[in-house]
Amino acid sequence: MDNHAALYEQGKQRLEYLRQFAPRQKVSLQQKMEESGITRRDFMKWTGAVSAMLALPLPFSTLVAEAAEIADRVPLIWLHMAECTGCSESLIRTDTPNLDTLIFDHISLEYHETLMAAAGWQAEENLENALETYKGRYLLAVEGAVPTANNGAYLTVGCKGHTGLHTITAAAENAAAIISVGTCAAFGGVQAAAPNPTGAKGVQEVIDKPVINLGGCPPSEKNIVGTLMYFIMFGKLPALDIFNRPKWAYGARVHDNCERRGRFDAGEFVETFGDQGAKDGYCLYKVGCKGPYTYNNCPTERFNAHTSWPVLAGHGCMGCSEPNFWDDMADFEKPLGRQLFHGIDATADTIGAVVLGATAVGIGAHAVASLFAKPLED
Amino acid sequence: MEHEATHKRQLIFTPAIRIFHWLRALSILALVITGFYISWPFLVAPESSDVLVQGWIRFAHVVFGFVLTAITLVRFYLFFFSRNDIERRSFKDVMSVKSWITQLKSYVWMGHLNKAGIYGPLQFVTYVAISFVALLICITGLVLYANVYHEGLGGMLWDSSAWIMMQMGGLANVRIIHHYLTWAFIIFAVIHVYMAVWSGIRFKHNSVDSIVSGYDYHKDH
Repeated sequence: MDNHAALYEQGKQRLEYLRQFAPRQKVSLQQKMEESGITRRDFMKWTGAVSAMLALPLPFSTLVAEAAEIADRVPLIWLHMAECTGCSESLIRTDTPNLDTLIFDHISLEYHETLMAAAGWQAEENLENALETYKGRYLLAVEGAVPTANNGAYLTVGCKGHTGLHTITAAAENAAAIISVGTCAAFGGVQAAAPNPTGAKGVQEVIDKPVINLGGCPPSEKNIVGTLMYFIMFGKLPALDIFNRPKWAYGARVHDNCERRGRFDAGEFVETFGDQGAKDGYCLYKVGCKGPYTYNNCPTERFNAHTSWPVLAGHGCMGCSEPNFWDDMADFEKPLGRQLFHGIDATADTIGAVVLGATAVGIGAHAVASLFAKPLED
Repeated sequence: MEHEATHKRQLIFTPAIRIFHWLRALSILALVITGFYISWPFLVAPESSDVLVQGWIRFAHVVFGFVLTAITLVRFYLFFFSRNDIERRSFKDVMSVKSWITQLKSYVWMGHLNKAGIYGPLQFVTYVAISFVALLICITGLVLYANVYHEGLGGMLWDSSAWIMMQMGGLANVRIIHHYLTWAFIIFAVIHVYMAVWSGIRFKHNSVDSIVSGYDYHKDH
């Protein structure tokens, strides 16, 4: 049995295992699709696309289809930490519901602060119930960084007054897998940017368990749903890169798949926004594109149902799926070589030139003084 | 009529040291120029996009980068294992406080150090430092290389380069560190050339020419 056959078998067993649990939704995915005007053909195309995206061969599309149907057997708990809800928005806000949003609707979402109807005691009870009932089986998705300063006193919300740090620790304890959705949960994000007053950290730094990081501000809906689908299908983590990001999504540099890459190699650059080069679709490197330092699938998957992505829209990539990007990738509209040192507002090249000038002055002074120095005796 | 030589000739730099010195100087010059260009491209694009301006300049940068990497490794090897121990002997001066004081005083026109090897203690320490800067700029360069070229050597280096990238806090930081280190070479080169010329004049020996011919000259006593 080759690798793919073995993986397929593994997926089948996993789905068999999931089938023993009761569906949590009264309405099947098929009915939901019909209501939203999504045809069976659309669904089959979507399963093929998801298989391809996950770098699986086409026969796996039947597994994807089955996994989508029984997504309501996988309990998902979604926690909000220090964040802006942009990642949830990326997934759920859409003018025409497509399959990605529908799957998110269909999955057994046990707790999601933005979407749930419950409030107060009832909300807390839902969370505690879910954590207890689905112990060791639920998928935990976290959005937002975890503030750890002041003994993690931040995010103390709800009737029980638990801190954010307490909530995440308790929820992570019996999770089958943990997904950090977005750069804040993965690497700290803007909260963790210098000087980081709340001591914000990525989930992986406060939890002693493997965490899948979906970098991006926000990550595309494809990367979120793809990761969910992978977990439903196989019940384990996909292949991850050095920053624990799924390789199928973060395996290639933005720069390498960019539609403007030819412009870069040919030396055709936008000098200022709005110039002729910008109108002709030249490379955005000199106006600060950080695509060369960023791993993500934006150029191929794009955002909002494949509509567009920043570089297509005419602004450089700002490296939002990389760790510490708010500090490391600044300024967003200048290349890294023109980055300013904080506090002195000068680039490395300015400082280098000043030091070089000082060296020249020193050498000049030494040379002139040498003219007047007493010669060395023989 | 016979001519009596007034000076004795002594081989101080072996051919390997001289060849590597100039190859290194050439590659550093090329790397600084192409590196700054890559950092801020400014040539006007040609009419045809078949001419890969950025591509060719990057190619030159990569080629000279590998030259510098190779020389850096070979020079580390030669320092320790060369049959000629004139470089290694200088270590004696580095360990001697007296040599340090004598040498530093000689830079402000007082006295002269009779060196144990070929380098003064401050010179020796500076060369060691610049050698490690070279090592670091080669490592960061290779990490950047592996992130651009995925086949062959780049593929082989992928895992280790990913680890180094993580230690340095991401690819953007690797690139920034690579850029900063460039300035160490520029400032070093200026001081290095001045000191070579100056010490030849001040201490009345063959200095700049030695790295071409390999010889220094001493007066017979």
